[in-house]
Amino acid sequence: MAKIAIDPVTRIEGHLRIEAEVDAGQVANAWASSTMWRGLELIQKGRDPREAWLMAQRICGV
Amino acid sequence: MANQFDGKLEDALIGRGVSRRDFLKFCTFMAGTLALPASMVPRVAHALQSGARPPVVWLEYSDCAGCTESLLRAYSPTVTQLVLDILSLNYHETIMAPAGHQAERSLEETIQAGGYLTVVEGAIPTKDDGIYCCVGGRTAVDLLQEVASNTAAIITVGACAFYGGWPATTPNPTTAQGVKDIISGVPIVNLPGCPMNVDNLTATVVHYLTFNSLPELDELGRPLFAYGRRIHDNCERRGHFDAGEFVQEWGDEGHQNGWCLYQMGCKGPVAYHNCPTQRWNEGTSWPVGAGHGCIACAAPDFWEMPAYETVPIVDQTPPTGYPSIEEEGVSPVTTGVVGAAAGVAVGVAGAVAARKLTEKEE
Repeated sequence: MAKIAIDPVTRIEGHLRIEAEVDAGQVANAWASSTMWRGLELIQKGRDPREAWLMAQRICGV
Repeated sequence: MANQFDGKLEDALIGRGVSRRDFLKFCTFMAGTLALPASMVPRVAHALQSGARPPVVWLEYSDCAGCTESLLRAYSPTVTQLVLDILSLNYHETIMAPAGHQAERSLEETIQAGGYLTVVEGAIPTKDDGIYCCVGGRTAVDLLQEVASNTAAIITVGACAFYGGWPATTPNPTTAQGVKDIISGVPIVNLPGCPMNVDNLTATVVHYLTFNSLPELDELGRPLFAYGRRIHDNCERRGHFDAGEFVQEWGDEGHQNGWCLYQMGCKGPVAYHNCPTQRWNEGTSWPVGAGHGCIACAAPDFWEMPAYETVPIVDQTPPTGYPSIEEEGVSPVTTGVVGAAAGVAVGVAGAVAARKLTEKEE
């Protein structure tokens, strides 16, 4: 069984890795991982709630 | 990424239906952005037509892709896109066709060849050996160091690659840093903003192509042409500040009439950026124009400043003839009140001046 990894997955916002196990031309098992973490929820904690919208719009800029 | 065209820019422009007149208009626009005299327009045009195509790699780390979106929404898309096409964009994860190891091979080949420009978007997490941002199984900090080792210069775009931006805000869970904290010995131009304004990126590239050098920078590594002037001093609402006309509450009469947003927390008095003149979305508007205070997104660590609290006014520049505004020893909390009081005083002075003018006319 061959294992392939596609990293980076391009033409998306963010960082994505796909790993797949291929058996006789068929994908038998696959894993997706987001390879970037910023901890935005932890930063937002305890801040002025009026600023939440400023931050929410910057989680993803697309 | 495949080259968009291999011939001269002029041929490509004609091929896409862009007239020479439009091209020269673009060159004039760029010369204006760079604060160059009109006599430099032919030199800009000549440089853009010469066909030199520096390769570029665009790296994205702890980012939101907002600066990439800003790039894709360039003003005057046809001409700007062509100028940006002059760059051989060899690597850009969000828009490149190859993925996986093919994408990484483009990057490796470019690094080996050398002489390329590097654009960095996003902060670089360093905690736990940098595992919080990985591309192709390698950490951002490792990749950036390799790319920087053979680059001609680095252009950081956005707040995150500048000082770490939002990811680096307290408590900075990933110990995110800006490029300046990771890389030394390479020329770095910072184009902060959240996002960066694509006009300033285009102008920096045009400067590089025209003069074969990077634009003059301030002490924070930001080009003076874009970050040399204070927003407050070029703001279309400045007259209302000087006249003591402040928005006190969202939607009140002052807000409806476009008065000064200082008391609503506007950071214009401490922000340096060309937003009031360059604007956004093809020059149509900008945050203050749209009715919200500036958040000083081009300033270091701007997220640490509470968005809705007033900033102290440290070096006020009242118009000639108006009484000075005393701000020494004033805390940020009371500055708004003092500002309002001073505004009222200034408003009275303004009224007196207006009356005198009227008398003169009579």
